[in-house]
Amino acid sequence: MPPARRYEPRKSRLPLLLVAFGGAAFVAALLIGASLIGGGGGEPVAPPAATVDTTPHEESILGGIAQDGIALGSADAPVTLVEYADLQCPYCAEWARDAFPAIVDEYVRDGRVRIEFRGLSFIGPESEIALRAALAAGEQDRLWDVVHGLFVRQGAENGGWVTEDLLRSLGRGAGIDAERMLADSDSPSVDSALAEAAAQARAVGVPGTPFFEAGPTGGTLTPLQVSSLDADPFRAALDELLAQ
Amino acid sequence: MSDGALRGAVAALAAAGVAVTSYLLWARWTSTELLCSTGGCETVQSSSYAELLGVPVAAVGLVGYVLLGLTALRMEPLVRAAGAALALSALAFGAYLLVVQLAVLDAVCQWCVASDAITTLLAAATLLRLRGAATATV
Repeated sequence: MPPARRYEPRKSRLPLLLVAFGGAAFVAALLIGASLIGGGGGEPVAPPAATVDTTPHEESILGGIAQDGIALGSADAPVTLVEYADLQCPYCAEWARDAFPAIVDEYVRDGRVRIEFRGLSFIGPESEIALRAALAAGEQDRLWDVVHGLFVRQGAENGGWVTEDLLRSLGRGAGIDAERMLADSDSPSVDSALAEAAAQARAVGVPGTPFFEAGPTGGTLTPLQVSSLDADPFRAALDELLAQ
Repeated sequence: MSDGALRGAVAALAAAGVAVTSYLLWARWTSTELLCSTGGCETVQSSSYAELLGVPVAAVGLVGYVLLGLTALRMEPLVRAAGAALALSALAFGAYLLVVQLAVLDAVCQWCVASDAITTLLAAATLLRLRGAATATV
């Protein structure tokens, strides 16, 4: 009968709609829940690029610690930690802000650990401009001041935050000849340092940044598997290496 | 629209989704800079929201698109309902991630937006298939 045929489709559709919408709600809730549990801390650093803070912020962290090219800390340190990073990478900035000061204070300052910076520039043109300046500062043994200064002032990727004024300010803050640093940014030695870091990253198979290796100084380095970018997993790994 | 046409649409859209998510995964694993006209792709892809409990969201999306593509091979009502459930959940999760991009990260990844567009069309196509399945069971 016509009335029966009209109502029947609505009856048979309901279970399927329940499966579709109920299943969707369940899966979406799982995905969003997992994202909220695992995420939330990875937003990029707020871009303070417009203001160049000339306070020697880096001085309090790095002051009194030897620097030699890309290395921070004593050449005689028994353990070497290598960081592969892009100066525009938000996670790298997170590590620089949350872990680096503690690691430097607890392990580098007393000569037990040295850190090498191997800069990459895959995020874009401003990564390379910033990295070239940092490597040029390394020629005056102040790479780490510029690197850390850039990380704590990191702006939106390729958003115009890596200005000559900022680089000059960081160079001056590091106590080096900032004009020479800017001039050296395009030097052949900086070209080769860039190429060398990129080749090392390829050889190691760096999957993304930041990426860390550690091991006995002069010995075989192995990738660090860390659960987070705060200082604790690095303390555990370095303590283990120092105990060997 | 016939179920055959809808199955073709679902398969084509799922293939497009596989292409987008595969590109994101490839760029991630090879540390290659993403093609990005919106300027925020790397910020989004290197944020913690680009992973679900350590698994790249692009990998989760890739699995989802493959499963959606597989639903186009079958005509059973329950499979159509499962396809609709997958597409709707992807649509909801994509909407959540879009809000995160706009409100939290202040950066938009064009590849995520492309995926959102694909899941919107997939949700429409799978719901149309579901309507056809309900009618077919009468």
